[in-house]
Formats: sequence, C-alpha cells, structure tokens
Amino acid sequence: MGVTCVSQIPVAEGKSVQQTVEMLTRKLELLGAEKQGTFCVDCETYHTATTTMGNPAQPGKLMYVMHSSEYPLSCFALFENGPCLITDTNFDVLMMKLKGFFQNAKANKIESRGTRYQFCDFLVKIGTVTMGPSARGISVEVEYCPCVVANDCWNLMMEFMQSFMGSHTPGIPSVFGSKHDSVYSPADTMIQYMELLNKIRKQQQVSSTGMR
Amino acid sequence: MEAPPVTVMPVTGGTINMMEYLLQGSVLDQSLESLLHRLRGLCDNMEPEAFVDHEMMFLLKGQQASPFVLKARRSIDKAGIPWHLRYLGQPEMGDKNRHALVRNCVDIATSDNLTEFLLEMGFRMDHEFVAKGHIFRKGIMKVVVCKIFRILIPGNTDNIEPLSLSYLVELSMVAPAGQDTVSDEMRSFAEQLKPLVHLEKIDPKRLT
Amino acid sequence: MSGGPAVRISIESASEKQVQEVGLDGAETYLQPLSMSQNLARLAQRIDFSQGSGSEDEGSVAREQDWAEEDEEEEEASVKFQPSLWPWDSVRNNLRSALTEMCVLYDVLTIVKDKRYMTLDPVSQEPLPPKQNPKILQLVSKKKSLAGAADILLKGAERLSKSVAENQENKRQRDFNSELLRLRQHWKLRKVGDKILGDLSYRSAGSLFPHHGMFEVIKNTDIDLDKKIPEDYCPLDVQIPSDLEGSAYIKVSIQKQAPDIGDLGTINLFKPLPKSKPGAPHWQIKLEAAQNVLLCKEIFSQLSREAVQIKSQIPHIVVKNQIISQPFPGLQLSISFCHSSNDKKYQKPSEKQSAENHLYVLEHNLHQLIREFHKQTLSSSMMPHPASAPFGPKRMRLAGPQAFDKNEINSLQQSEGLLEKIIKQAKHIFLRRRTARTIDSLASRIEDPQIQAHWSNINDVYESSVKVLITSQGYEQICKSIQLQLNIGVEQIRVVHRDGRVITLSHQEQELQDFLLSQMSQHQVHAVQQLAKVMGWHVLSFSNHMGLGPVESIGNASAITVASPSGDYSISVRNGPESGSKVMVQFPRSQCKDLPKSDVFQDNKWNQLRGPFKEVQWNKMEGRNFVYKMELLMAALTPCS
Repeated sequence: MGVTCVSQIPVAEGKSVQQTVEMLTRKLELLGAEKQGTFCVDCETYHTATTTMGNPAQPGKLMYVMHSSEYPLSCFALFENGPCLITDTNFDVLMMKLKGFFQNAKANKIESRGTRYQFCDFLVKIGTVTMGPSARGISVEVEYCPCVVANDCWNLMMEFMQSFMGSHTPGIPSVFGSKHDSVYSPADTMIQYMELLNKIRKQQQVSSTGMR
Repeated sequence: MEAPPVTVMPVTGGTINMMEYLLQGSVLDQSLESLLHRLRGLCDNMEPEAFVDHEMMFLLKGQQASPFVLKARRSIDKAGIPWHLRYLGQPEMGDKNRHALVRNCVDIATSDNLTEFLLEMGFRMDHEFVAKGHIFRKGIMKVVVCKIFRILIPGNTDNIEPLSLSYLVELSMVAPAGQDTVSDEMRSFAEQLKPLVHLEKIDPKRLT
Repeated sequence: MSGGPAVRISIESASEKQVQEVGLDGAETYLQPLSMSQNLARLAQRIDFSQGSGSEDEGSVAREQDWAEEDEEEEEASVKFQPSLWPWDSVRNNLRSALTEMCVLYDVLTIVKDKRYMTLDPVSQEPLPPKQNPKILQLVSKKKSLAGAADILLKGAERLSKSVAENQENKRQRDFNSELLRLRQHWKLRKVGDKILGDLSYRSAGSLFPHHGMFEVIKNTDIDLDKKIPEDYCPLDVQIPSDLEGSAYIKVSIQKQAPDIGDLGTINLFKPLPKSKPGAPHWQIKLEAAQNVLLCKEIFSQLSREAVQIKSQIPHIVVKNQIISQPFPGLQLSISFCHSSNDKKYQKPSEKQSAENHLYVLEHNLHQLIREFHKQTLSSSMMPHPASAPFGPKRMRLAGPQAFDKNEINSLQQSEGLLEKIIKQAKHIFLRRRTARTIDSLASRIEDPQIQAHWSNINDVYESSVKVLITSQGYEQICKSIQLQLNIGVEQIRVVHRDGRVITLSHQEQELQDFLLSQMSQHQVHAVQQLAKVMGWHVLSFSNHMGLGPVESIGNASAITVASPSGDYSISVRNGPESGSKVMVQFPRSQCKDLPKSDVFQDNKWNQLRGPFKEVQWNKMEGRNFVYKMELLMAALTPCS
C-alpha cells in the first residue's frame, strides 16, 4: 500500500474512448510497464428516502458505496465531504436491509474497469469509466508503492505521470492537502475515485441535459 | 435516462441470510464461579477469554412504526481490532420444536469511525453500556457470560456502575437460514448447564 | 326337626352351680354351690304349701293328684325334715325333682316351638383346650423354639456372608470408581446410555482428522473370586477401536537410488517389540499406544493428501503405506506408515540397512509439525473481540476494515503443508550430511594443509552452520588466513569468508569439494605470506588468482613472490589446486656463475641484481609439510649474520 493519485484524462480529439485508452497503454508498455491483469472500481449511489425524518436539514444527502478489486474483501461507504467507513463485504447485505431508508439509485451506478500495470515501484491503472452501457471517460490511477506519506512522494509521482500523461498531468489531489504528513490510507484513494466518478457523472448529466 | 443493463457486480458480496440462534439466562454474582467452572469443563479446550466491550445502540426513525436498530460494539481492552456493527432482525419465537430464539443477523467488521458515520447516515444513539465478562466456545456455539455496566457520563467508559447483581448468560450461534436443527445442539448444551443457569428463549417483545 | 335349620341344641345336665348372671357375651357367672344348711334353708323356702299352680295345662287329674301328693310330701319333708323317715324318701325326692325338670323341659320346649316368645340361639362357648398329652406338647414347643433360634442364626449368617461379599464387591466397585476418576483426570469421558465412552482423539487439541477416536470403558469386576487375583489386576479396562490397536510409527528414510517399483508400498518393518508382560496392559498404556497409532495415521493421511495435491516437478508417489518423493535428483525420500496389530505375526525386518536408514529426527519432527498444525487450527479460531463478533481468525476480520490488498490476503491464506516442510527438512539433513562427508573425506585424503570442521551444536531445522579452518600443522598460530563459515540451507550452501565475501554453492557435492580444494591451495600461498612476515621477508607480489601459466581445471592458481630481508634472494611460489605447488628461487646475479657476462652490465653494482629463477625440487625438500619446507628454505636463503 502506497500513495495514490487518481485523475482523469480527456478523450483525445477525434478519437474514441477506446482508442485513447489504447494510446495510453501503448505509451506505458513502451516505458516498460508490465501488464498485471485487470482491475475494477465501482460506485453505487444511495439517497436517503425522502420520507426519512432523521435529518431534515439535509434532505438530499447522497451516500456512496464503493468496491475496489484491489481490496477484494472491503467495502467503502462514503459521504461527499464526509467520513469514509471501511467495512467488510457484509455491508452490502446491510444496505439491502436498509432498503426502506436508503434507496439504491441503480441508474447512477458507475464503474471504472481496465488494466493494471506495474512499472518498478509504480502501479498504474487505466480504466474506462462506464455508466450504464456507454463509456464516459478515462480514469488514471497511479500508485507509488514504497511510500505512505503523500507529501513526501508527490513530486516524484508527478514526474512519473508527466512521462506518459504529458500535459494532462493532474495537480495535487485535494485529499493530499488535508493529510499533511500523516499516513495515506486506501480510503483516500476511494475518496478520489468517488470525486472523479461524481465529476464524470455530473458532466454527463450536464451534457445530456444540454443536448435536449 | 435509459435503464442500465445489469452489469456483474465485481466484488460485492457478503454472506446473505445468516441467522442467529439465541438462548439467554442469568446467574447471580455469587454463583458465577461455579458456572464458569462448569463451562470450562464443557467447552472446547481453550481458556475462557476475558473481554471488556462498549456497545452502543443506534436508531434510525423512518415513517415505519419501528425504528431501524443497529448495534455498534467495540473492544475496550484490545487495541487494533475492528468495530463490530450488527443488525438483528425481528426475533422469531418459533414453535416448540425450535429450541432457540432465531433472528436474522448481519455481522459487519468496520473501521473505527463507525459512530461518526452512523450519525452522518441519520442514526442517533439510543443508549450505551459496557459489558465485561468471559467468552467460551463449543464448536460453533458461543457462550458469553458478562456483566452489564451503566455508563454514568455519556461516552466515558471509565465511569461505570454495574446495572445489577447478576451476570447475563447468552448461548448463541450463527448459522445459515433454515438450519433449525442446530438449535437441538444448543438445547442439549443448555440442559447440561442446569441447574446452574436456566437458558431459555426469551422474547424481547415480552419484556418491553 | 326335619325341615328347619339345623339349630344345634345342646342339652346338658342341670348344672350343679347356679347361674348368677349371664353377661352380654353370654358368659355365665355361677354362684358358689350352697352349703348343706343353706340348701336346706332354700329348699324350705321354696315349699309352696298352698299349691298355686292352677293353670294353663289341661293337665290330667292324675297330675293334679300328683301335685297334691307332692305337696303333701314336701310338706312332710319340710315339717319333719327328718331324714330317712321313710325308706323311699330319697327315691321319691329324686323322682319328684326329675319330674319337675321334665315339666320345665316340656314347657320350655313348648314355648320354643311356638316361637312366639322366645327363640333359641346358640351360646358362644369357650372352646375347651384340646386335651393333649402335655409331654408331646412340650416336645413340640421345644422343637419350635429350637427351630426359631436356628432360623435367626441362619439369617444372621446369611446376612454376614452377604455383607462380606458386598464389602468385596463394594471394594472392587470403589476401586473401579477410583480408577475411573483417575481415567477421568487424563482422558475425556462421557456417558452414553449405560456405556462410558472416552475420546482419545486429538480433536480437542485442534486435530481435524475425521477418525472418531472413541474408546469404551469396561468394568472388569466379574473375575473369579476363587482364583487368585493377578497382581496387575485392574477393575477398569478399556476397549479401543480395532483399527487403533497395536503399535505404529512413521518411518522416514533417504535412499540413494529408487528401488524396484514392485517393492513399493510393501514396507512393513518392525523392530521386534519388547516382550510385553503377560496379561492385559494397563489402560493408560493401552490408550497412549492407541493415541499414538491415531496420530501416526493422521500424519500419514495428511502427508498423502498433500502429496497428491501439491504439484512438483517430480510428482510425489503415494503407494499403499508409502510416500516417495525426490528431493534431489537421484535421491529418494520415503515416508512409510508402519502399523502392527498385536495379533498379526511380526514380519522379520527384511532390509536391515533400510532400518538403519530411519531418520529418527525427521520422524520426531513430523510429530512436532502435526502438533504445530493442531495448535495453529486452535489458535486460528481465536476468541472474537468484541464478544459479539463472529468466530474466525483475527487477521481475516481485519482484512475488510483495513482494506487489505491481494498480497496481504494471500499471505493470510498461504501456509506450507506438512509434506513440503518435511521435504525441506529432509533436504537440509541430506545436504548437511553430505557436506560433512565431503569435508571429512577431504581431510582424510589431504594431509597438507589440514582441514578442520567445527559444527555448531545448535541448528535450525532448515539451517545449520559449520566453521571450516584450513591450517598447516605446527603453524596454526601464524597461518589463520582461511576461515570459512558454511551456512547449509535447504537447497544451497552459503560460504562466508573471513573478509565478508559470500559465495553461494548449489547442493552439488562437487562444487563444495572444488571450492574447498581451491581454498586449500590458496591457503598455502597465504601461509607463505604469513611466514614471510614472521621471517622478515618482504612480499613482492601476491595474487590469489593468477592469470598466467597453465589453466587449472578447478579454480585458479595463486602465487606469491617474497624477497629475503637483504633482498638478495627471492622465492616465488605458484600453487594451483590441480597442478600443485611450484617453488622457484631467484639468486643474486653474483652467485650465478653460469650466467653469461653481459655487456650491458658493466658496472659491479649490477651484480646486486637478481638473476634467473631456479625451480626447487620441492618433493625432495626436507620437512613434514609445505610451510615447514618453506621455512627451511627461507632460513637457508637468509645469510647468518
């Protein structure tokens, strides 16, 4: 477990999502990265049922339940700007029991699937973000394994990302800011994914409403 | 928005439909020693393990008449152990052939920010207590003998006083639904504890 | 009296005694008979002179007359009362009274017959004691009392004997109970129905072997009381399952070459067991033996299961009671399960050398490993914390909330099997043995330099170490250049030099041998270097690995050149592991007579230069070893001052 940065790469002009992913992976392979199977991160959205009296002040609060193939026995439950609870997979069973209170917005299920690459101490996961049937974007996750303090290795990571992402290299993730010198945890990765997937979902919704 | 096709959920899972079988009883403080002694003889060859736990009951009120109840429990005496979040369904007394109280149960191990998260979800804490006692094991059966302590200052688990002069004795096991025969084993075990303690299926609805 | 009920009427003579009263029970109380004078007075009173009968009877005149007569007579009698006034007086009196009686009887009968006024009931009468002969009676009563006494005595005797028997029974019962108590202290028992069953399996210690391991406790109390109780008699006996009877062990051996396939699985080796004492052995011994058989069975079944599951380059073979694996090429590890039941005939240990091959260490380690395995299964099911949490390994519970990644989860699940471990241990043992043999054979073959091995006493099952010193006899103190630490592992040997260099050798025997040979050859050169220091010679050049001269097949030749303190002479030594040593001496030019006078070296000073080398015929040198010879040579070349 190391420090991870999750970012998005825009689809290259005149190319499909698939082609852009292929371009990226080719670059990585040229660098000498080794393919190591696949990965998948998914995110389900729950809204508190409108009838819930519990917290009338925030009626539209959304809860996200996420899974990552990197952590196959874990389940991550988070609120936007809120805490992230890490549990075992029985949490999914609990959410079924909570059906009357939290409703699963099935249509909002979004996930990122792709290939996992290892390049020396770096793990790179390039995934296609899909929501429903169609691909919506590309996620790039870069993990630097030997380090657990985010600020200590950010520059190194950035340098590495520049080598294959070029101008699309992201800025410092917001979760790093709050971390200071404390230990980076898998929850921080999932928060980044949650933010990224939310962003992609909102873009999609804006564009689809804009098209109408 | 178009209906999404069913994608195979990658890693979701968990054990669905587990049932907790439960028998309860109590002993006075003075007969605790003899009960522990008996249990040491009956249970698997492991020394009974002492524990100190802090349990909080969380309620989520919806439009339904009965609130949704979750129990959050953590170990006080052992560090670095996940919190335990537990959902327990409506107890079924069942007929005479079933020798234990049965209820649906979901056991979840969680990170230690559970309280914060449950409050964020809209739950509120109903009550809390500290339980000190011993755990025994016999096969898949678990025997917990513990004393319940009232927490005098909310959240401060050091400032506690015993609730009664007796110990709670619980014989329980968790098994997949539909295996009612396991309760026979519990019954015969409970038989062996007589007359030190009488373990019965106690309907919590009757108590309220 | 024909038709009526048979009423018995007893007619008796008038009693002399008069009835005073009749009790409610019908008993009559009699009056004391009157005395003569009283009787007379009474009779006198009864005389009714006025004859007042005049009654019911249609009585005949005669009777009336009779009465009159009677009256008269009575009158006379009473008046005169002179006995024997008339000779028939007493007759007449008797007749009269008889008549009276008869009349009364008649009246009574009449009244009774009428049943109007009176009925007759039988009067209960005290039965008369049977009239027996008092002698017979005495005899009978004596007999009776004697019989009673005898009865009591018999009963007492019976009770006594019963209580004695009971005592004995009780004692045996008590013995049984105390034995049972002792049994209970060491073994798990439970009562099923009217049987007492015990558990000799290792299940409570964490074993997962499916054998039930039940034994039955038998009460052994019905022995013949008449016979002498044998000394080792025990009222408690145990019945162990038939498949756990006898004795068993696991035989582990390493063999050089594979035996015929036909021999596989037929190993049935038994040390002749120590002759067991006659009679049934004590339950404790029986149970322990059975438990041992059970454990051996478990070990073997675990090993065979793993042998089948584990994929290795050379598959493990499981045949009947034998598992064969190839740890190193050409080497065979065989693990066999030997079980003898008592009733079977012992098979003669057919292969003597294989019995000697038995690696007791590995057998012991197998037992140790299975117990570790048991402990692991026990501890893996640790008690949950908090108490409400489900059972399961703690690390598995942590996996979710601490977001373990795949590697961490793999490390949770991975565990080496028994077979893998024992094969590794066997490999290590084999490697260690072979290393020892290699060093020993070198030491015995080569006298100069000497090779010493110091084995460490404390080893790990997978690693042991040996310190190898190469010295020259008599020069141990000055020639300590080569000290090697050999760490013998499972597959390879790591050699650590004194200066910290590390060389890794494979399990091949030849590698170690070659390495040691090259080290020995280097040692000689090192020894010369050390000697030179002591002798005050100067080292001109030194090389462990000469790049010149003939190529050695093993390692490299090493060489040294030293100059005498004055610088006049120099000695050059080249030592190769294969070619052996070659020693050359260089003389000053001045001493070389045969050297052609050169035109170049005109000046006398050039004579101080050293001339050509000459080889020393080393084997003709005196001295018991190389270093000694060298010392002599150096001494010879050092001018005495």
